[in-house]
Amino acid sequence: MQNLEQEYRVEMTGISKSFGVVSVLENVNLKVKPGEIHALLGENGAGKSTLVKILNGVHQKDSGKITLNGVEINPKNTHDGQVLGISVVYQELSLVNDLSVAENIYLHKLGASKFWMNWKQLTNDAQELIDSLGFKINASAKVRSLSIVQKQVVEIAKALSEDTKVLVLDEPTTVFDPTDTQKLFDNLFKLKAKGVSIIYISHHLDEIFKIADSVTVLRDGVDTGSMDVADTDTDGVIRLMIGRELKDLYPVRQNKIGEVPVFEVKNLTARDTIVHDVAFSVRPGEVLGVAGLGGSGRTEMAKLIFGAHKKKSGTMLLDGKEIKTNTPVCAVKHKIGFVSEDRKEEGVFLPLSIRRNISVTDFSPISDKYGFIKVDNEYKKVLELIEKLNIKTPSSEIVVNNLSGGNQQKVALAKWLSIDSKVIFIDEPTRGVDVGAKIEIYNLINAVAQKGVGVVVISSDMPEIMGIADRILVMHKGTFYGELSKEEFSEENILRYSIGKPLKQQQLN
Amino acid sequence: MALTLKQQLSTPAGILQFIVKHNTIIIFLLLVIFSALISDVFFTSVNLSNLLKQVSGIGIISIGMLLVILTGGIDLSVGSMVALLAVTFAILVNIFVLPVAILITLVIGFALGSISGYLVAYQKMAPFVATLALMTIARGLGFIYSKGSPITFKTPGGEFMSNFANNSTLGIPNIAIVFFIIVIMAIVMLRYNVFGRLIIAIGSNEHASRLSGIKVNKYKFLVYAISGALAATAAIIVASRTNLGSPNMGMAWELDAIAAVVIGGASLNGGKGTAINTLMGVLILGLIGNILNLLNVPSYPQQVVKGAIIIFAVLLQRFETK
Repeated sequence: MQNLEQEYRVEMTGISKSFGVVSVLENVNLKVKPGEIHALLGENGAGKSTLVKILNGVHQKDSGKITLNGVEINPKNTHDGQVLGISVVYQELSLVNDLSVAENIYLHKLGASKFWMNWKQLTNDAQELIDSLGFKINASAKVRSLSIVQKQVVEIAKALSEDTKVLVLDEPTTVFDPTDTQKLFDNLFKLKAKGVSIIYISHHLDEIFKIADSVTVLRDGVDTGSMDVADTDTDGVIRLMIGRELKDLYPVRQNKIGEVPVFEVKNLTARDTIVHDVAFSVRPGEVLGVAGLGGSGRTEMAKLIFGAHKKKSGTMLLDGKEIKTNTPVCAVKHKIGFVSEDRKEEGVFLPLSIRRNISVTDFSPISDKYGFIKVDNEYKKVLELIEKLNIKTPSSEIVVNNLSGGNQQKVALAKWLSIDSKVIFIDEPTRGVDVGAKIEIYNLINAVAQKGVGVVVISSDMPEIMGIADRILVMHKGTFYGELSKEEFSEENILRYSIGKPLKQQQLN
Repeated sequence: MALTLKQQLSTPAGILQFIVKHNTIIIFLLLVIFSALISDVFFTSVNLSNLLKQVSGIGIISIGMLLVILTGGIDLSVGSMVALLAVTFAILVNIFVLPVAILITLVIGFALGSISGYLVAYQKMAPFVATLALMTIARGLGFIYSKGSPITFKTPGGEFMSNFANNSTLGIPNIAIVFFIIVIMAIVMLRYNVFGRLIIAIGSNEHASRLSGIKVNKYKFLVYAISGALAATAAIIVASRTNLGSPNMGMAWELDAIAAVVIGGASLNGGKGTAINTLMGVLILGLIGNILNLLNVPSYPQQVVKGAIIIFAVLLQRFETK
């Protein structure tokens, strides 16, 4: 705070960076005032993360200038960044699973100076910090035992454990449900009031307009503009992000929805999870949305139906005939598909080629009775799907790890389209996917439904689920609490059902 | 990928890339050239056929090891299994006619491997632990059934096997032919069959495999069972070469097999590795032993050199991922 007259806390001017021959950033400017929430937007690969990593010392800039409170800085590593008061919460969690919450939060102190640590003090401090954020987490618990939401909270607490002047959050809400997100926002407003500069990276434009004061947009490593949020709108920002006019984010739904349900579930109860008494049906051509808070059992419900979790009771009907899915193998045999929310761990085979990823669900059409693969048939089928899904790749032999998030997601979907699924469960279809790819995935979901498939989409992104679903079922504590028809779609209604409250007009009646 | 070989080799970076990509084959060829230069005896048919005979046993179990490692597992029991099954075969060949003896030995190998496979796939035991237990059990059983001493072949069937194992067809030792046939089968299965596809998928991401409807347990079970059957094949071969089955056979062979697979560029995390490269790994290890023998280097320094080669080969592979 030595230089109070400085208008900007952080000033990055003319930043350029290339990795080898690939230029990632070109002459980028980013200016953030004290006590400001500044949104940094751009599609995947636009250079947002690299810019942030230059600010806190992970990467070094090739040219340009960074000042903090008017003083030029050149952080050489993350330690330099920390000393300067720059904390970053990364998109990928960077916690040590086998240490406690408190130890993780103060990890940087564990290696420093003192030989003896006051563990009690450490745990108390950590507990206080977490309590002040408004989340319930035991500071002495092992990180391994936490849910992914709690881990994200610990990650944020870790960033705040020091005298932070600049806080960078890279997609902090991807795993949060609306209530958690609101809690996070409340905390950000508190920090803002204390004069902390916050740089906020997100794909959720509605979040940006809720909390940010100003915004900088990157496209392909060039900044396409900085402005006050008040001076722009969603369309304006998207235009800067993708460089073209965006007509509609969500496709027009004009599907013929069948009368007879293709898939029906009655009284389904899980053996090991909170899912109980689930009943619903989905008709051919219908996109059924499933909303609810994190931890309400949406993913568990899908995994239960898919046979990945054990059932206690209940019946399932496919085309009117009762089926059993005790393992995923049975589910796949009945042409039920499941796209996991955890793309990297459960969705795709990162080290394998696109071809090997897509073929894996069913070899019967492309192999003989001894299991020998008819390579020509395989190529034909895979190339067709690559084209149909517009997967951007030079060939079918590219390793999936080298694709962008959006294209990886399309590969995960392609796997299920290749077996002509009758019902597909898609859990968080666009998590960590940029706007351009989102639109393509929405169109794809629409096209799949048009073919007469029953599509069940689970999503925490409320505008998304309202945009693509024909009706929405809301989960609360392991079962469906309410159903919303298209006319009843609103964030408020979804939220009310999510927390187990009736809709407003129902209260009036 | 569109580059022709000539274009690729025109730049230093391209040459390096080429070397790294084909490092096992290049190391193998360099060793062959080096051996030929350093010893007059190396390129004689006697030496070469000796070399092939020496590596065939370990080579066969290395293929089984490759399948297990591709799924992300490990099979420590194969060395001891060779001992137990060699003893078993020696006992059986003295009782039954040859085809029956061979068949029963193979079935027992498959069954023993199935125990590991069952423990790993269905009881979720760590492969290291399950096969470590089987390793001790198999070695112990080998000593029990042989009463601690080698059992010699006494029947015409045994004599036939002994002749087969020590003779050559068209200049190639018969047992090397058996090894090569197994390698070719592995290449074909891994490249063109659903079986290979699926075990590689399981090794590269078990979660995603389950959620793709792959019968993960079945395939994990199968690779250990196949590894057991291949250990039986190796056992029959090594027993026939020496005309006896001894409980001391196959000592630490599992480690040589793992080394061969790793030198061949496979990842112990699973999902990566090929049969042709494992063949190269086997030949590289065999060559090192062979040339050091020709140079009269005693066996202890040989071990040091072997270890150094393993480190060198794996370091080279690190460039590949970058």
